[in-house]
Amino acid sequence: MPAAAAPDWSAGTPSAARRASAILPTADALVDGFREGVVVTDPAGVIREFSRPAARLMPGLVVGRTLAGCGEGPLAPGELTLGERRVRCRRVELTVAGTTSIAWYVEDVTDAVARSDALLAERGRARFLATASQKLGNPLHEDRAARAAVRLAVPTLGEVAVVVLAPRRGRARWWRATAGEGEAPPIVDGGVQPADELPPALDEAMRGAEPSAADWLADQLAEAGWLGDRDPARVAVRVVTLPGSASATGALLVVRSHDLDDHDMEMLRGFAARAGAALDAAVLYRDQAEVADTLQASLSPTEPPEVGGVQWGAAYRPAQSSLRIGGDFYGAHELSDGGALFYLGDVSGKGVDAAVFTGQIRQGLQALRRIEAEPARLLTLLNHSVLETTRAHGHGRFATMVLGRAYPGPGGGLSLTLASGGHLPPVVLRGDGTVETVDLRGMLIGVVPDPRIASVTLQLAPGETCLLFSDGVTEARGGVRGEQFGAHRLVDALAGCQRMPAPALAERVEQVIGDWLGGRNHDDIAVFAVRAVAPGSPARHLHAVPDRRSA
Amino acid sequence: MTAVLSPTVREAYPDYLRCLDAADEHGAIDLALALIEGGVPAEDVLLGLVAPAQAQVGEFWQRNEWSVAQEHAATHVSERVVAAVATTVRPRPHRDRIVVACMDGEWHALPARLVAEVLRLDGWDVTFLGASVPSPHLVSYLHRQDPRAVLLACALPMRLPFAYRAIEACRRTDVPVLVGGRGFGTDGRWARTLGVPFAADARAASSLLAAPVLAGVEEPAPLGDAEYAGLVAARVELIDLVLERLDLSRYSPAQIDATVADLGYIVDSLAAAVYVDDVTLFGEFVSWLCTVLASRGVPLHTVGLTFDVMADRLRDFPRAHAYLRSTAV
Repeated sequence: MPAAAAPDWSAGTPSAARRASAILPTADALVDGFREGVVVTDPAGVIREFSRPAARLMPGLVVGRTLAGCGEGPLAPGELTLGERRVRCRRVELTVAGTTSIAWYVEDVTDAVARSDALLAERGRARFLATASQKLGNPLHEDRAARAAVRLAVPTLGEVAVVVLAPRRGRARWWRATAGEGEAPPIVDGGVQPADELPPALDEAMRGAEPSAADWLADQLAEAGWLGDRDPARVAVRVVTLPGSASATGALLVVRSHDLDDHDMEMLRGFAARAGAALDAAVLYRDQAEVADTLQASLSPTEPPEVGGVQWGAAYRPAQSSLRIGGDFYGAHELSDGGALFYLGDVSGKGVDAAVFTGQIRQGLQALRRIEAEPARLLTLLNHSVLETTRAHGHGRFATMVLGRAYPGPGGGLSLTLASGGHLPPVVLRGDGTVETVDLRGMLIGVVPDPRIASVTLQLAPGETCLLFSDGVTEARGGVRGEQFGAHRLVDALAGCQRMPAPALAERVEQVIGDWLGGRNHDDIAVFAVRAVAPGSPARHLHAVPDRRSA
Repeated sequence: MTAVLSPTVREAYPDYLRCLDAADEHGAIDLALALIEGGVPAEDVLLGLVAPAQAQVGEFWQRNEWSVAQEHAATHVSERVVAAVATTVRPRPHRDRIVVACMDGEWHALPARLVAEVLRLDGWDVTFLGASVPSPHLVSYLHRQDPRAVLLACALPMRLPFAYRAIEACRRTDVPVLVGGRGFGTDGRWARTLGVPFAADARAASSLLAAPVLAGVEEPAPLGDAEYAGLVAARVELIDLVLERLDLSRYSPAQIDATVADLGYIVDSLAAAVYVDDVTLFGEFVSWLCTVLASRGVPLHTVGLTFDVMADRLRDFPRAHAYLRSTAV
C-alpha cells in the first residue's frame, strides 16, 4: 500500500527491495494514480517535482519555483482551502542518498466535508424534530398545543410562525410566535378570524393541499395582519397543512427573510406532521372529555335539598379518580308532607358501568317515591324494578343500600325510619358523644324477587347524627401492612364529635380514611350524614357553599 | 399565609374565636358579613380575621387545648365563612384563569382556599379544586381548561416527594406550576430544591401570576436517590422494629393506631429530609412532634428510643443515620 509505505521511504529503506519485477509501472505513473496529490520541494521550498492530482488542485505549479513564486498559497499540515477546494495536507521529510526533500501530500476532501456538513445538518434537523415531538406530546389542549407548536417553530423554521386551527362554528383561532430580541423567548399572541375571511392559501392548506410559494402568498398574509410590520415584498412565506386523522387540524405558516431550501421544506413538513398529530390528539381528548363531563354530570351525586330540621353532609371519593364517578351513590328528596327521603348505596362492579347502573337506581327511586314513601315497601318496589332491568340487560348486577325517611318530631329532633337491602348498618352519634350501631341487615337488591327487607325506627334528638357509609370506608386498607379500617376505627373517629355539623362530620370520615390509606388504592368511598337541627335554624347560607366537586 | 391580625377586625376577633369554639357557623358568617357591610375590605376579613383565627386553632390543637374534633369543626366553620364572603363579594373576573388545588393527601385546604379567594378578589378567574385532589383528576382538568397557571398547595414537608410527583404530572400538561404552603418551608427553600417557583402568600402569588412570562419549572438537582428509595422500602420494617421494643400491652387499640401513625410520620419526614437533602426538615418536624406529644403527656423518651432503633437499622443510610443522630429530642 503506497500510503503505508511512506514511512519506509523516510526511514531510508531501499525501495528496490520491495519491487518484485521490472514489469511494474514507473513511480511517476503510480504517484499520478493516487487520490492524494504530491508536491516535492527542497528544504528551501523550491519545487522539485509534483504529481498530476497536485496540478489539478494547484494549476500554477512549475518545477524550480517556490509555491509563492507559482502564485499558489502556502501549504501547512492540516485542513486548508485551495481555490474553491477544501484539502487536507500532510508534510513528510524524505532523505534519499543524503539529500533531503519535503513531500507535501495534498488530499481533496471537499466532497467528504460537504457530506459530513450535510450529515450534521440532518442530525440537527432530526434533533429539532425529536425535541418537537417530545414537547408537542405534552399538552392535550388544542390552544396549548398550538401555542407550543408556534413557540417551537421559532426561530428554527422561521422568524414568525402562525398556526391557524381548522375553523369551528365559522371561526378560526390562530396563534402566532414572533422571534424575540436576541436571546429572548419568542413573543406569542393569538386571535380569532371569521372562517370566510381566511386567506385563500390557508383555505387550500386546510383542504390538504400545500400552496405553492408565490409572491401573492405573502400579500395575502400581510392583509390578514399576520406579518406584523414586515414588508411582504422582502420576506419568504411558506404555508403547510397540519394533518389530522380525518381532515386537516389546521395550517402552519412560517415567515423568514430568505426562502427555504428542499431540506428546510422537508423539516417544515416533518414538523407540521408532528404538530398536526398533537392537535389531533388534543381535539380527540376534548371530544372525549366532553362526553365524560356529560356522563359525570348526570351520574355525580346531586346536592341534597334543604329540608327544615335536617342538616345533610356528604363526602364522596370514587376509586377511579380521573373521572370521579363510581359505584357508590347517595341522595335525598324532600317529601310533600314535610319529611325527607334519603339513601346511600353501593352497586356491584366498578367504574363507568357501575356508575351507569347507579343512575338507573336513582332514577327508579325518583319515580317510585311518588307512589310509595314507606322505606321498606319502596325498597321492595325498587327491587322489582332493578330485577326487571338486570334481566332485560342480562348483566346480573345488584345493589346494597340503606333508605331512610326523616320526619321532624313535635319537640324538635327527627324521627327516622330506615330500611336496608343488604347494606352496612348505619351508625348514630348521640348527644353525649357515644356512637351506636343500628341493628339493620336485609338482603341484596336485584337478586331475588321477594327479598327480606329489614326496617327500624329511631329518634334523633337535636344535634344527633345518623351516618350512612359504604364498605369503601370500613374496608379501606391502610395502616402499617394494609389491614382493613374496620367498623371499630370508624366508631373511634366519630366518638366525641357530637358538636360537628353534618358536612364537617362527613369530611372528617373522608379525611381519616384518606390518612389511613396513606396513598394506597381504594374502593369507592361514600359517606352521608343526617343531623337533626333546630327546625327554625336558618339554612340561608347553605346554598352559598359552592360544590367544590362540581369542578 | 399571612396570619397577621388586622386592626380593622381586631375588635371582632374574640367573638369570632368564640364562634369557632362553639362550631357556630351562622354566628361566624353573620359576624364576617357584618364587617364587610361595615366597610371592611373582604381581603382584610380573609387574611386578617379568618387566617389568624385558623392559625390560633392550630395552636390550640397542638397544645392539646382543643380536640381534633373541635379543630375540625372550627375549620369547617372557617370554610363556610370563606364561602359566604366569596358569594357576597364577587368581582367580575377580568384576568386569566387560574386553578388552585391541594395535592393528593393534603387535607389542609383552608390556606389554599384563602389564597384562591384573594386571587379572585384580585380579578383572576379562579377555580378551587379543594382538598386532596388526586393527580389524575387534576391533570385531566388542566388538559381541558388550559389555565394560565396551576397553584399547588402543600402544607406538610413530609409530603414533598409526593408533591414533586404532582408537580411533574402538571408540568407534563405544559401548564406553568406555582407552589405555596408551609410544606415547602417557611421561606420556600424546598421549592427551590425542587426547581419550582414559590409564592410565600396570596399577594406574592398574584404578582408572580401577573408577570408577562411565567417562570417554568427548572430541572431540579437529582432527587429521590437510592437512599430515599431504600427508606421507603424499609418503612414497614422500621415501624415494626420500634413496635417490638414498646410494651404494647399497656396501649389501647386507639393508642396503638396513633403510635403507628406517629412512627409513620417520623419515617416519612426522615425520607422527605433525605429527598431534599436537608436535615432541618427533619429537625423542624421533630420539634413540632415533641410539642404535640408533650402536651398530651406522652413521655418523650419513646421518641429517643425510636431514633435509636431506627438509627441502628439505618447504618447503611449515611444521611438518614446522621439526621437521626444529630436531631435532639
